[in-house]
Amino acid sequence: MLSYNLRLAFASYRRNPTLTGLVASAIAIGIAVCTITLTLYHALSNNPIWWKNDQLYAVTIDSWDPERPDNDKHPERPPPQLTYKDALALLKSDIPMRKVAMFKSTRVLDSGKADVKVKRMDTRVTTGDFFRAFDVPFLYGGPWGAAADQGPEPVVVISKEVNEKTFGGINSVGRTVRLDDRDFRIIGVLDTWQPAPTYYDLNNGSLENPEDIYIPFAWGEALELESAGNTNCWKSEQINTFKDFTNSECVWIQFWAEFSSKADHNRFQSWLDGYAKDQKKLGRFPRPLNNHLYNVDEWLDFNEVVTKDNRVLVGLAFMFLAVCVVNTVGLLLAKFLSAASLSGLRRALGASRRDIFQQHLVEVIVLGLAGGLLGLIFSALGLWGLRLMFASDFDQYASLTHMDPTMMGAAILLSLLAGIAAGLYPAWRIGRIQPATYLKTQ
Amino acid sequence: MSIRPILSALLRNKTGAILVAVQIALTLAVVVNSIYIIVQRIEKIGRPTGIDENNIFMVNTQNYARNFPFEATIREDLAYLNGLPGVVAATTINAIPLSGGGSSTAYFNAPGGKGEGVPGNYFEVTERGIDALGAHLSSGRGFSAAVIRPPVQRTSEFVPEIIVTRDVAKQLFPDTEPLGKTVYSQLSQPARIVGIIDHMHGSWTGWDKVGNVVLHPVTSCCNRISYLVRTKPGDRDRLMPIVEAKLVRTSGRVVNSVRTLSFYKDRSYSDDRNMAIFLSVVIVLLVAIASLGIFGLATFNVQSRTKQIGTRRAIGARRRDIVQYFLVENWLITTSGIVGGCVLALAVGYWLSVHFELPRLDLYYLVGGVFGLWLVGQLATLLPARRASRVPPAVATRTV
Repeated sequence: MLSYNLRLAFASYRRNPTLTGLVASAIAIGIAVCTITLTLYHALSNNPIWWKNDQLYAVTIDSWDPERPDNDKHPERPPPQLTYKDALALLKSDIPMRKVAMFKSTRVLDSGKADVKVKRMDTRVTTGDFFRAFDVPFLYGGPWGAAADQGPEPVVVISKEVNEKTFGGINSVGRTVRLDDRDFRIIGVLDTWQPAPTYYDLNNGSLENPEDIYIPFAWGEALELESAGNTNCWKSEQINTFKDFTNSECVWIQFWAEFSSKADHNRFQSWLDGYAKDQKKLGRFPRPLNNHLYNVDEWLDFNEVVTKDNRVLVGLAFMFLAVCVVNTVGLLLAKFLSAASLSGLRRALGASRRDIFQQHLVEVIVLGLAGGLLGLIFSALGLWGLRLMFASDFDQYASLTHMDPTMMGAAILLSLLAGIAAGLYPAWRIGRIQPATYLKTQ
Repeated sequence: MSIRPILSALLRNKTGAILVAVQIALTLAVVVNSIYIIVQRIEKIGRPTGIDENNIFMVNTQNYARNFPFEATIREDLAYLNGLPGVVAATTINAIPLSGGGSSTAYFNAPGGKGEGVPGNYFEVTERGIDALGAHLSSGRGFSAAVIRPPVQRTSEFVPEIIVTRDVAKQLFPDTEPLGKTVYSQLSQPARIVGIIDHMHGSWTGWDKVGNVVLHPVTSCCNRISYLVRTKPGDRDRLMPIVEAKLVRTSGRVVNSVRTLSFYKDRSYSDDRNMAIFLSVVIVLLVAIASLGIFGLATFNVQSRTKQIGTRRAIGARRRDIVQYFLVENWLITTSGIVGGCVLALAVGYWLSVHFELPRLDLYYLVGGVFGLWLVGQLATLLPARRASRVPPAVATRTV
């Protein structure tokens, strides 16, 4: 029966190719617009480390101004970063399995090679747990250990790209590079690592490239490095030296903790509250107790990675698809009714209303799927166009406009639903026609 | 022309008309709200910045050698830049205007200030700062060379004098003339307002107080030094490589980038621009699809009524009567869609304003959308209607 219906469907397409083409295009355009907006939405709401959603948490403490919250629109939220002294205090807790304290800086890299340009590099100053906590892959070598964080030892991890540009991609572990005015020994070379969005530090946008260079956190204080990311201060304090700065209430350190169990997570939460209460006794943390651990999903939400524009676009795109579907209903009605006499003939020869309904529904579903495939091609073209237009704006726009299998599946499913939604009424209507009306005039 | 017969003919065969009306309603809702958003974005991007943005470029340097002589280097660089033919003025600056990165602090109109103070996005510039930015001083004066603080790594010291925008001045001193008044830092250190800039944008284009800008007479410091260079019109692109070639020759530092100020501005507004472009494409496609629907319905109606049209022609209807018939029919359908569309458009507008903090839909846009869709409907009907008018009266005499 299905193959017979399919044969009838294809005969019908051939009978009126223009109208068939219009129906498929209307669905295709609707699908394409939806798929493009959904792809952008999906890419931004993506959790690049979903497998650690129950282990990995951004740590926040409300150290802010008693007069006003850090975030006017969300007064319940603590500031997203920690003060330096709080970061140091949290590093002393042994409850988390891994602790990452870090900030972004810049260093000038001199590899000592005459043919490689001395260049400014984005540098992450971080504890060694960074690499294991965020599952950063290594091509050569590995992360530094706790001893290197204590020293701090002059060790450095470089990105794959830097290794390629500087050392031609060989195993450069053990070699020395100069960062500003100091020698560092390469201890590890990263493999390709492009989390999108860059959830671990959302201070400077969500689609940046990860840093080129990684050095132990304690170098921050030793070299008096300041953040190249975001530093926020609320308190009126004298800051005349770096020591004043690290002792201040300015927040500029990102802090993450990884737990081996939910129990540890809860223990750390109460430890954190205890720490905050102790500090309150010393006159700090004038706001009500408000310390939070956010998992990656919550953190992406906290930082509003998916913008309001993204949501508006998805809403409008679905209204657009609705117009396409209504349009298709009209086109299908015209198409079916123009061939009503054939259905009349089938009915007269004994086909039931159900048969006619099924026949036309199959025709519509196939058409919907064809529209979906065409829509995928349109979306690919559209995304390609977006990439060409906006590639220079963001480091990672390519990943943003990449259509993954999930999106392709969603597009096909959507086209199927759109086809059925558009075809249900016309197929029912054609099933209701009186055979006699159409047989008479022939 | 009487509407009654057209209406009764319509009501006999509603389905097609309803489908088109629904499309019109949805189209009106989407198009009106989209255009409203687009216009807001274009207005936002086109706001005057108060800076000579098209003739400015930034040179961002970073030094790394131990004991790098930054003070002497800055002096040499500024002398070179300001002496370069084609350059209007150059200054060191602590952050790039319109770029999304910068510093802010709070200013108070009395010492020991309580409360929030007035937030100001401050830029540290030299005595050439006003000229380099191309900002317009409406009263007062610029900084003199003597008052510019030499580069220091870190200090809580405030500055003796500042220049503020009219926006900041009004918030600090709503009722009095601000020029010459004293403002206070968070640490209650005083500074005198020596100049007022009419209007100038700071770093954060998305901030509702983007016009809260304050200039400090400070040579910015120390590892990362940026120069803001304003050229004569037409000289910018020629001078950029020349300046870069000169500055990279200093040993112990690198030139991170040499970029036009427009580059930073475009990047800051890229989300707004992308949104406007995307919505424009959606509008064009949507109107095209809606027209196609109207066109399809009219064509279908003309085809299925060929005989009636012939009959009307045979009993005396002129061609223009036939054209008019279809145009009025379309107008009726479009209008019924528009009525629903207005409600839907307002609902979508309300939804956007509540959930996305966009301003409530301006009714002018709705009126414009209504007229636009009337026009689109009439245009899409015109071709099938004219085809209908060419049906010869003789058709009426033939059986199918």
